[in-house]
Amino acid sequence: MNPIFEDFREAYETGNGYLLSQTLSPIPPPAQPQRVYNFFRSTNFAAAQKDLKQQILPFKLDPDESKGWIEIYHAYWKAVGELLNAENAHKGNTKAAWSKVYDAWKEVLNALIRGYTNCGFEAWTVPCLYVVGKYLRVFAIKADEGSGNSIGAVTSFQDDFNPEAEKNEKLEDAARQLNRIFQICLADRAEIGESRKWGIYNIINLLFKTYFKLNSISLSKNILKAIQAYRGDMPTLDKFPVGHQVTFKYYIGVIYFLDENYAESEKNLTEAWQLCHKDAVRNKELILTYLIPCHLLTTHTLPTLALLSPYPRLQKLFLPLSRCIKKGDLAGFDAALVAGEEEFVQRRIYLTLERGRDITLRNLLRKVFIAGGFEEAKDAATPAVRRTRIPVAEFGAAISIGSKETMDNDEVECLLANMIYKNLMKGYIARERGIVVLSKGGAFPGTGV
Amino acid sequence: MNTQWAVPPPPGTQGQAYGYQSKSQRHLTFKQPTTSGTAPDMSTDPPAYHPVQVRQSFSQPALHYPPTVQQPPQPTEPAAEEAGEKKKIDWPVPVRNYVQRSFEPGRMDPDVPRAEMEAKLKETISTATEKNVLYTLDWDKLPLPQEMIRHDRRKAAGVAQEAWRQQSAAGKDTPISKKRKSQELVGDNEDSLPPWRATNPRNGFEDRVTYPAERFDKRQQPIQDDNIKGTSKFHKNLEKRQRRFDGGYKSSYKSPSPEPVSGPVVGTCQTLEKQYFRLTSAPIPSQVRPESILRQTLDLLKKKWKKEGNYSYICDQFKSMRQDLTVQRIKNAFTVTVYEIHARIALEKGDLGEYNQCQTQLRALYAQNLGGNPVEFKAYRILYFIHTSNRTALNDVLADLTTAEKQEKAIKHALSVRSALALGNYHRFFRLYLETPNMGAYLMDMFVVRERLAAMSNICRAFKPDVPLRFVTEELGFESDSDAAQFVYDYNGQALLEEKEGNMRFLSGKAGQIFEVAKSEAFRKSI
Repeated sequence: MNPIFEDFREAYETGNGYLLSQTLSPIPPPAQPQRVYNFFRSTNFAAAQKDLKQQILPFKLDPDESKGWIEIYHAYWKAVGELLNAENAHKGNTKAAWSKVYDAWKEVLNALIRGYTNCGFEAWTVPCLYVVGKYLRVFAIKADEGSGNSIGAVTSFQDDFNPEAEKNEKLEDAARQLNRIFQICLADRAEIGESRKWGIYNIINLLFKTYFKLNSISLSKNILKAIQAYRGDMPTLDKFPVGHQVTFKYYIGVIYFLDENYAESEKNLTEAWQLCHKDAVRNKELILTYLIPCHLLTTHTLPTLALLSPYPRLQKLFLPLSRCIKKGDLAGFDAALVAGEEEFVQRRIYLTLERGRDITLRNLLRKVFIAGGFEEAKDAATPAVRRTRIPVAEFGAAISIGSKETMDNDEVECLLANMIYKNLMKGYIARERGIVVLSKGGAFPGTGV
Repeated sequence: MNTQWAVPPPPGTQGQAYGYQSKSQRHLTFKQPTTSGTAPDMSTDPPAYHPVQVRQSFSQPALHYPPTVQQPPQPTEPAAEEAGEKKKIDWPVPVRNYVQRSFEPGRMDPDVPRAEMEAKLKETISTATEKNVLYTLDWDKLPLPQEMIRHDRRKAAGVAQEAWRQQSAAGKDTPISKKRKSQELVGDNEDSLPPWRATNPRNGFEDRVTYPAERFDKRQQPIQDDNIKGTSKFHKNLEKRQRRFDGGYKSSYKSPSPEPVSGPVVGTCQTLEKQYFRLTSAPIPSQVRPESILRQTLDLLKKKWKKEGNYSYICDQFKSMRQDLTVQRIKNAFTVTVYEIHARIALEKGDLGEYNQCQTQLRALYAQNLGGNPVEFKAYRILYFIHTSNRTALNDVLADLTTAEKQEKAIKHALSVRSALALGNYHRFFRLYLETPNMGAYLMDMFVVRERLAAMSNICRAFKPDVPLRFVTEELGFESDSDAAQFVYDYNGQALLEEKEGNMRFLSGKAGQIFEVAKSEAFRKSI
């Protein structure tokens, strides 16, 4: 018997959905590197269906179910053939070859979905949807990346070209297919113990991943609305596999982050951080990439060296900025922001980190305030009071440190006004007298002075 | 950077516009399309473009296969088994007739083995089924499988000749033929693969799909020449078709549902102006203007815009131009020019919807290095996303810019505007506002009011007890003190203005929440 069907039998005997799903993976298991290739070579185009029948019928499944699996493996056999083809394709024509892989793989998915809608597949088999969905996305990206002419139908009746759609033709289609999987999981009415609903967060995560890649993150919100509408019939998130939870919370956190809702973002990212497997370094790094800028804005705190020590990439990303923020080094902060711009922009944290300049400025002004020392005490009994009337020029001099030009007074006042407006500094500007009058009780809220 | 900013006015120039760029300065100026050197000579009225030859070089089936003899409606016989189809599908009558016709002894070709014919037939029908055109395809006109095979062989043999013929036929100076020529060659190469190597059967098939326009012709004029064989007849037929394209059937018939189209349309319309209609079916060549005509249209529109300034007319005309360019898949420097000019006009008129459509296209066109003014429009793009407060898009724009582009004056300016606003530096923002290059001020005008309100909220919170009105004028980029005063009045701040020792003072400390409320309102609206 073909090793694929040995696993199939074992999976069916033990109800092991993950083992079953591996029989549909286009990547052979490490122990049997030739498995996929051998499977393809085990039969031919004319005999495939008949051969597969002979493999599957002896399992004595329900006739509908057997029929469903035969169709699935038949589609899988064809898709694997295209895959082997594409891997050997000529450089100039990878697009066509991978498009065919994508189309063939989509047939696998179609057959699988029919298995659920028509052939009564049970819920324990949902990992098959994960695997097929996962590789659908992978092949779509490959096809879109490939070189060669696009062969799809070009004309929709638009007045203008749609460059994005042409560039991501297959991936957009993949998003639609994944949405179908989402629907068959969401709409399953079986009793919850036997429901495909247990697969839903894995599929949602795949969809989010695809939407992020397509740069149409707003589509994620439709998914959230849909599960919100079904929340009465759905187990709460904490009942799902932890891996699904972590990824889901991570994406929700990032979606809030991009919406500038840093409080919600922080909440979700923190939960993801706490649930994340301790050895999943890459995932923890991704979570921190957004959690650190969040913290900077919500609580004005910076990551400690100890936190960053396992992540060299994050150190490179955040340490230079952190140092400048702490020191109140405006010029250094600007330089660090420029130096890291490319990576920051790519991670979509640039616009958030930029706002760290306010904290840098606050720290600088606070230094000026402290350097101003104390008022002359009227008598020794009263506690010393810090000097709270500070000339604008003193702040101006501090701001100009490190830059070649002196900032004019109006602009210095503008920056000070901002600090006051954002409640980073308490007091007011008396313009006629050229001084800033700071609050005697906590001129810089939250910093101890 | 400081040195770039406008120098504050010397005292005594009160009330004078010192830095404000007057609208006339940034008024729309048309730029010559960068391709003016290669543009066809506009003085000759009929373009150097011969429609008949154009049709010839465009790989459509009707030319390679003269329409087959129209069969009288045949009695429906169960001919389906000949197709070798195993499934029990009730094939439509035209398909059955087609199959039957293919195997009529008189039509068999001794050079084409039956097996090959059957394979071709099967491919044709299954492709039609897949593409869902089984019922819509004009089977009566479709070339028979033996003809298709002969054609494929001919093509495989004669690619080089074909290419040469097209080149000479297309003429040398019409850009449209140049465009089409390059596409032709690609198409031919694909077709030239022997059938067993063809990677995409659909492609070969699409060539043979009859176009809606032709189908329409058939309905309007079902007369068929029964014995077209010689080339003179062939040409006669072509001329006839040409006349039909130019003729007046065009508006009466519309395809009930959109049909798939296999390639770009080649327009034959010779009128310069055309009203815009949203496409609901495949475009009809006789209603589409080729590039040579569109170039004349653009000149005409530029003149009209200068003279009449009728925006609704101009916008409508530009939209139809864009549509014609799109359906013909013309993407070159001329396309860029059309979009740029439409974008500028839309900007000037504050039509941000149209502007944004143009900008989206321009982004893609610039990515292909087709010329134009990428720096100018990339700067607009930044300002536009500031206006719409679209952080995601702003991030994308930043990701798109190269280091060299960031040093360009207009882009640098737009980036500075962005960072000034991000950091709440209204002082710098209004300096930048006063020195906006090109037509960027039209965009900045869109959000300058809300930023003034934001700055006012700031000033009212931070400055006590008051500031000179002059300070407000300068910091918020007003043209004069009276403009600044008017602004305060507009938000019911009359009580906040007070004259002291001959100077107007603004009582910032007493403003309370009025600007704060107005600011929230303004930002809420714009997002």
